[in-house]
Amino acid sequence: MIQLKSLLKVIDNSGALLVECINVLGGARHASLGDEIVCVVKKARPLNVETGPSTAQAAVSKLKKGDVARALVVRTRKEVRRLDGSYVRFDDNAVVMLNKQGQPLGNRVLGAVANECRQKRWTKIISMAPKVV
Amino acid sequence: MRLEKCYFCSSTVYPGHGTMFVRNDSKTFRFCRSKCHKNFKMKRNPRKVRWTKAFRRAAGKEMTIDATLEFEKRRNIPVRYDRELMATTLKAMKRVAEIKARRDRVFYKKRISGKKEHEKQQNVLEIQRNIQLIGEPSLKEKVMEQKVMATEERMDMETA
Repeated sequence: MIQLKSLLKVIDNSGALLVECINVLGGARHASLGDEIVCVVKKARPLNVETGPSTAQAAVSKLKKGDVARALVVRTRKEVRRLDGSYVRFDDNAVVMLNKQGQPLGNRVLGAVANECRQKRWTKIISMAPKVV
Repeated sequence: MRLEKCYFCSSTVYPGHGTMFVRNDSKTFRFCRSKCHKNFKMKRNPRKVRWTKAFRRAAGKEMTIDATLEFEKRRNIPVRYDRELMATTLKAMKRVAEIKARRDRVFYKKRISGKKEHEKQQNVLEIQRNIQLIGEPSLKEKVMEQKVMATEERMDMETA
């Protein structure tokens, strides 16, 4: 149940820590597991100032506060029905950041990811996740 | 299909039933019904809630150490299908259930033995303690006599 103004935790190394949903893609009212949203970065990991030019270049691709980017919902607190009729519920609302083409911005995912993402062309994120439930 | 055990009450969670909760450290908790899920959300300890299996085991209400309990276990190595093996397993399951039921009965009998005498004793003591509540004089006298006898007996024991 991710909608406008929902705050979500970011569980990859894209640089963002906390994002706010500003649009749900696909014409749906709410986003659920495996849905894409547009969000704005509310809190980001601080950039290291004293690092050399090579790391500074890498930092360019990292997200800063105020950046707008797409994201994939991988955990929701609202329970979601599985095909066999049972329900799955998580501890928090979490996302993985994406670019416009739907490729992940970070190269690591930390924490559990819902199995629902597997069915919807997000196999790359699934393969990066340490645990899929 | 795997039959999971409920985290709270330890009953079997059949496919399509109940809720799974995934904590942030990716530990999964399965619940057989909303009752168990709600109790978990209330942060209740299953060992302290009287209707759960965990309580009954912890309080010595049920058999915990028995060979018949060793058969039903989570096994992570898949077994290759074999008709013969399946047939013998089915036969064995029935037999094991039979033996377990018998042992359960014996366990219960053992646990409950002596309960009646204990209760009777407690009732007699209660009457003696609250004798002023009894209205009928004949009954009162009888109880008083009993009490005197009991105290005398105790005195005899102490002197002897």
